[in-house]
Amino acid sequence: TTPMDADSDVALDILITNVVCVFRTRCHLNLRKIALEGANVIYKRDVGKVLMKLRKPRITATIWSSGKIICTGATSEEEAKFGARRLARSLQKLGFQVIFTDFKVVNVLAVCNMPFEIRLPEFTKNNRPHASYEPELHPAVCYRIKSLRATLQIFSTGSITVTGPNVKAVATAVEQIYPFVFESR
Amino acid sequence: MTGRVCRGCGGTDIELDTARGDAVCTGCGSVLEDNIIVSEVQFVENSGGGSSAVGQFVSLDGAGKTPALGGGFHVNLGKESRAQTLQNGRRQIHHLGSQLQLNQHCLDTAFNFFKMAVSKHLTRGRRMAHVIAACLYLVCRTEGTPHMLLDLSDLLQVNVYVLGKTFLLLARELCINAPAIDPCLYIPRFAHLLEFGEKNHEVSMTALRLLQRMKRDWMHTGRRPSGLCGAALLVAARMHDFRRTVKEVISVVKVCESTLRKRLTEFEDTPTSQLTVDEFMKIDLEGECDPPSYTAGQRKLRMKQLEQVLSKKLEDVEGEISSYQDAIESELENSRPKAKGTLASLTRDGSVEDSASSLFGEEDPEDEELQAAASHLNKDFYRELLGAGVSSSSGEAGGPEGGSRPPALESLLGPLPTAASLGISDSIRECISSQSQEPTGARGDGELDLSGIDDLEIDRYILNEAEARVKAELWMRENAEYLREQREKEARIAKEKELGIYKEHKPKKSCKRREPIQASTAGEAIEKMLEQKKISSKINYSVLQDLNSKGGGSLRGGGAQPQERAGARKLSRRKTPAGRSGADPVSSVGKRLRPMVSAQPAKRAAVGETLLLSSPSLGAEPVRPTAVVESGPVSYPPEEDPDEEDPDEEDGEPCVSALQMMGSSDYGCDGEEDEGY
Repeated sequence: TTPMDADSDVALDILITNVVCVFRTRCHLNLRKIALEGANVIYKRDVGKVLMKLRKPRITATIWSSGKIICTGATSEEEAKFGARRLARSLQKLGFQVIFTDFKVVNVLAVCNMPFEIRLPEFTKNNRPHASYEPELHPAVCYRIKSLRATLQIFSTGSITVTGPNVKAVATAVEQIYPFVFESR
Repeated sequence: MTGRVCRGCGGTDIELDTARGDAVCTGCGSVLEDNIIVSEVQFVENSGGGSSAVGQFVSLDGAGKTPALGGGFHVNLGKESRAQTLQNGRRQIHHLGSQLQLNQHCLDTAFNFFKMAVSKHLTRGRRMAHVIAACLYLVCRTEGTPHMLLDLSDLLQVNVYVLGKTFLLLARELCINAPAIDPCLYIPRFAHLLEFGEKNHEVSMTALRLLQRMKRDWMHTGRRPSGLCGAALLVAARMHDFRRTVKEVISVVKVCESTLRKRLTEFEDTPTSQLTVDEFMKIDLEGECDPPSYTAGQRKLRMKQLEQVLSKKLEDVEGEISSYQDAIESELENSRPKAKGTLASLTRDGSVEDSASSLFGEEDPEDEELQAAASHLNKDFYRELLGAGVSSSSGEAGGPEGGSRPPALESLLGPLPTAASLGISDSIRECISSQSQEPTGARGDGELDLSGIDDLEIDRYILNEAEARVKAELWMRENAEYLREQREKEARIAKEKELGIYKEHKPKKSCKRREPIQASTAGEAIEKMLEQKKISSKINYSVLQDLNSKGGGSLRGGGAQPQERAGARKLSRRKTPAGRSGADPVSSVGKRLRPMVSAQPAKRAAVGETLLLSSPSLGAEPVRPTAVVESGPVSYPPEEDPDEEDPDEEDGEPCVSALQMMGSSDYGCDGEEDEGY
C-alpha cells in the first residue's frame, strides 16, 4: 500500500511483512493423522501441535487438536484468508469435518522507511508518555498508540516497524507518527 | 527536675526515682508524683535464662493506627503484611544501595519509589529483587549517577533484559520520565577505574570531546553508551600516550571486544579521525555524518543494484546455456535406469519434492523401501503404458502421482513442463472418481468458500501410503527420546497401579470459575449443572426423573427436627444465602460440609441423618425463610455431590435433590476425602 501523506509530497510505502490470523474448525483434529499424511508438516508432540507450511500463499499454520489454528506469514489480509481457507480445505481432504469459523486477523506487522534520519533522544523527550527509549536494551524507540492498539519501533536510520491489529490501524499509525518524527529529524 | 517545689515544706530538693516512678521530697518525704511515665527499657527473663527487652516493633508508617482487637481481624492481617513488605524492601534497598555506594538521599528516594510500587500492586507476580533493582536504577537515572543497569544485574546475577523490562514497567506505571542516558556521565567513572593518575582530568576532557564528536556524527543513537565511552576513552588514552589495551578497557566498560572494535572502525570512517591530535583539540569539523547503520544500509542497496545489473547480463548468456543444458539432460535421462527416472519425474513434478529429496538423503533400509516402492510404482507405470494410456489404474493411493505419470514420461523426453503435466493430470482427476470429502452437509454456518482454491495443489500436500510410512519412521526416529520417556512413564504408572500405591499426580489446574447457571426452572438448572459437572456413576438418574413429577409431597414431615438439628449446620447455612447465584458457592457449601462429615466418621449414620434432615432446611431456608419445607428420611440412592443443590430452588423437586445429595454425600464424600487429603 502506498498512502499519500498529507503533510508532504513524499509517498511513503508501507510494506506489510506479516499478517497473523486465527480461525477455528469446530471439530477435533487428530494431530497424529495430520502429521502422518501431510507432506509438509512438523509434529511437535511435546507441545501438542502440528506446524503445516503451505507454499502458496507462503504461510505457516500452527494446528492444535482442539481445532484452533493460527496462521502466520501471509503478506496481506486477503492472502491470509485465502491461505486459511486452503488450509481448511486440505484438512477436509484428510478426512476431518472442518467448518471454517471465527476467522480473525490478529496482528499485522509492517515496515516503513523514512527518507531522513531521526534523533531518538530528542524524539523521546518530545513524546514523553508514549515513547520509551532504553539504549542499553534496544536500539529503537518504542512508541505505543493506545487508541489504535498499535506499537511502533522507530530506529535512528528512519525505518519504522509497526505492529497493529489490522492493516488500517497500521496505516493510520504511520500517518499519525509522521509529523512527530519529522520534527526530530 | 528543676523548679519543682514541694507542696508540704516548700523545699526544692526533689528526688526522682525512676525505678519506682516516684518523685519524693527529701525534706518532708511527701510524694509529689507517682507512676511517672518513663522511657526506660525493661527486661524480662526468658525461659532459657536469658533476658529480652519488653516491647513491640512498630512500623514506621503505620505507627498511628492501633489494631482493633476483635473486629478488625482482616484489617490487622493485611496491615502487618504490608508493613513487613515495606520493611523487607527497605532492608534490601539499603543492602544493594550500599554496594553501589549510593548516598542516603538516593536510598530514601528509592524507598519512596518502592512504596509507590507496592501501593500500586506492582510487586505482585514479580521477584522482589527485580522490583528493588528497578527502583534503585530509577533513582540512579533521575539523579544522574553513573550507574548502569548492567551493574545492577551483575550484583543480582539476573538477566539485564529482565531487569530492563521491570524497570520500564515501573517507570511507566509511576509516570516517571527517566532522562535519557548521556555517555558523558560515565566518563569520569571509567577514567577513574582506568587509573590515569595525574592526567586523569585531561584524558577525561579529551574523551568528552570525542564523545561529542561522535554524537554529532550520529554514532550514539541506539548504541549502548558504555560502548561509546569505551571507544572514546581508548582513543583518548592513546592520544595522551597511555598504553591501555583493549582488554583492560573492556573489563572496565563491560562491552564485548567486537563491539569496541566496531565503534573504533566507525569512528575511523568519520572525517574527524583524519585529524591529528592537536588539530582535533582545536578544530571542530562542521559536517555531520550519517549514522553507521544507515551507511551500511545504503551500501547494501548499492550492492543489490549491482547484482541486478549483473544478473541482467547473465540472463542473456543463460539463454544460450539453458538450451545446451536441456539437450544434455535429456540424453542423461534416457540413459538413466528407469526406477530413478520415475522418482526423478516425481521430483520434477514438484508434487512431493521435499519429501522425495529427504527420502534420498537417508540410510539404507529406507532406500530399499524406496526401491521397493519405486519398483512397485514402476510396474504400474508399465502397465499403464501398455494399457490404454490414461486409465485409473492405481486408484487413489497413487492419485496425483498416477495421474502425472504418463505426462512424466513426456517430461523425460523433453524439457520439464510442469504446467503441462498439471493440465493433463487435471483431466485425469476428472476421470478418476474423486472420492472427495465434500462435506456440503456438514458445513453448517461455517461454510468453506472453495472459490479460488486449487484442490489439486492441496492434494499434493497429502502423502500416499508409502511416503506416510517413511515419514512416520523418520518422525519416530527423531522423537525417539521423547517417546521413550513417555513409555517409561506409562510403565511406571502401570507398575504403581499394580502395587496399589499409585498416586495420581494431576497437574495443578487453576480453578475454573464456572459461570452461574441461568435457568428458568429448577429442573433446567439441574440439567445444566449436570452437564457442567462430571457425571457420576452413583446417581440414579431415573429416580431424578421421577422426582420432577412427584413434587414436594414426600418432603413434608420431620420438618421440625431439622430445625432443631440446625445447630451443626448454622455456619454453612449462613453462608449459602450469601452465595446463592452460582454453582460455586454451592460447591463451597458442599466442601464445608465435607470436613464436618469427616469429623465424625464413626457416627456416619447419625450424620447421614442429620445431613438428610438438615439439608432440606438448608435448601429451603435461603429461598424462603417463611415457608418451611419439611423433609422426611427419604431413602434415595447415593448421589454425587452436594453441588447439585440448586440455587434457584422452588418447592419440591430441588429440595429433594438436595436431600438426596446430602443423604448420600456421606458415601460420596469418602472418596473425595481421600482425594482431598
